[in-house]
Amino acid sequence: MSSQRISRIAPRESATLHREHVPDKPLQRPRGRFLLDRGASLPLILPATILVLIFLVGPFGYMTYTAMTDLSYANPDQNGAFVGLDNFRHLVRNDPIFWHSFWLTIRFVLVAVGLEFVFGFAIAWLIWRFVERQRLLTTLFLVPMMLAPVAVGLIWRLLLQGDFGMVTHYLHKVGLLSQSSAVFSSPSLVMPTIIAIDVWQWTPFVTLIILAGLMSLPKPPFEAATMDGAGPWRQFVDILLPLLRPIIALVLLLRAIDAFKEFDKVFILTGGGPGTISELLSIYAYRVNFKNWDLGYGAAVAFMVYLVVLIMCSVFYKAVYWKSAGAAGR
Amino acid sequence: MNRSYKILAVGVLACILVIALTPYIWMLLTSFKGRLDILSPEPRWFFTPTFDNYPAVFIDKAYLPLVMNSLVISIATTVLSICIGAPAAYVFARNDFPGKEDLFFFFLTTRMAPPISIAVPLFMFFTLIGLTDTIYSVVIAHTTFNLSLVVWMMRGFFAEIPKEIDEAAMMDGRSRLGAFVRVIIPMAAPGLAATAVLCFILSWNEFLYAFILVAFEGRPLTVGIPGLITPHGTLWGQVAAVAVVATLPILIFTFLVQKHLVRGLTFGAVKG
Repeated sequence: MSSQRISRIAPRESATLHREHVPDKPLQRPRGRFLLDRGASLPLILPATILVLIFLVGPFGYMTYTAMTDLSYANPDQNGAFVGLDNFRHLVRNDPIFWHSFWLTIRFVLVAVGLEFVFGFAIAWLIWRFVERQRLLTTLFLVPMMLAPVAVGLIWRLLLQGDFGMVTHYLHKVGLLSQSSAVFSSPSLVMPTIIAIDVWQWTPFVTLIILAGLMSLPKPPFEAATMDGAGPWRQFVDILLPLLRPIIALVLLLRAIDAFKEFDKVFILTGGGPGTISELLSIYAYRVNFKNWDLGYGAAVAFMVYLVVLIMCSVFYKAVYWKSAGAAGR
Repeated sequence: MNRSYKILAVGVLACILVIALTPYIWMLLTSFKGRLDILSPEPRWFFTPTFDNYPAVFIDKAYLPLVMNSLVISIATTVLSICIGAPAAYVFARNDFPGKEDLFFFFLTTRMAPPISIAVPLFMFFTLIGLTDTIYSVVIAHTTFNLSLVVWMMRGFFAEIPKEIDEAAMMDGRSRLGAFVRVIIPMAAPGLAATAVLCFILSWNEFLYAFILVAFEGRPLTVGIPGLITPHGTLWGQVAAVAVVATLPILIFTFLVQKHLVRGLTFGAVKG
């Protein structure tokens, strides 16, 4: 898709050069004097474009092709014969584990991002209303989010150890945990725990960006509303929320896209277990590819993950195009 | 009335801060604990610190080269992403061409692409050309997704510099490229530095690409971490020591770029 777009530029490029040689021909479109001419801009933009084409579009195309073969490193008989859409057909119709992972991931995204949004928004609002030296405090809040996700997985694995985990101990003492057992081998506790850890890690992200939005809100609408006698709740619902809408959409989408791709933490915490209870889509794709070495089928799974993210991504772009969101953020 | 609200709010925020920071502090403490202090069923907040865990894992278990790998990968990725991405961002900020916004969106998809989907074909491709298990494969993979961050962030920073500056530089007899390199880049230096630090952080923290592309030689610290966890008898003091080394530099960096963090995390959409 993108290669078409780039080739669309190329013919006009030569047209510009041509125009320079025929000075008396009027320009079709008045152009600002300080736009880069094509000759100077191509070498600047081409390396980035080519790199991405080779190492992103290339692999993507290869994945799409592999998804239509039966390639498997585990079975010598399956040496990459073309099978058309068989993998996808099997995936959609006869793979309960894929659908389990898919809906698990959707539920994970909805619950985790929802909680992160509610908590993150509340914290941002509290900081905005009641704290003067916001920067220092916000920086401290950011710590969980800046840690490598692998390290977050490690930290919580240590904290939730059955016999000596610090958090397990206190939860048991308060009575929230029946016995000091390993949380990650309990089928009913494992997903709530993973969600809680994700909320711990990513709530600061929502706080940070919503706070930036709150601090850039214009004063006059609120002053006018106060003059009209609107209470704090009315002001919150009728002025603050609508003004923040682009930023709220942005935060939700960015978080949803990231949460959908979740891999590192869960891989360290449970590896998808017990059984397949915490096997999110990325973990499932990993297992099919690198545990079963079923690369053709694995590519089909990876393709589906990509597809969903691409859809969310274009929604992101349409909903909060960077210029309009930037205007709202100022 | 208002004052008591404020005290209540600050109290709530303080509690949240404790929740946010305690897990990390516990990890920090654990890295200085002996085996008995770690395995004590009653959490021990006070103990006699030991420094044995650090040499045990970084020297005896040879994790020090992994720190070096992480550094080399992150620095190389950052330099490459900036050198390739910043000029492209400048074109996006100054120039107009058909399909510009489509190409711009296309760069965003590189950052959004799920690593698991790209890493698998990338793995096959690098196996084909013999680059798996080398630092190069990770640097290339990290550069592709960091490029989009640079392009998206720097477009905004460049756009904030008035075009008249370019004009003045060119009046002084500089070429278009000369104006970019000698005048615009220095003016955008703070933004460039913030972008570079964010690239470094993203590359340093990244796990999945590196995990799939390099198993032994050239693996960064994040990839070395799972190897320390065993079903029984994990040496948590050493695990914690690795985790501290893997995270402390990033936290310091975070303080440095906090001003530009919002912009970086939202791809330039929110100025912060």
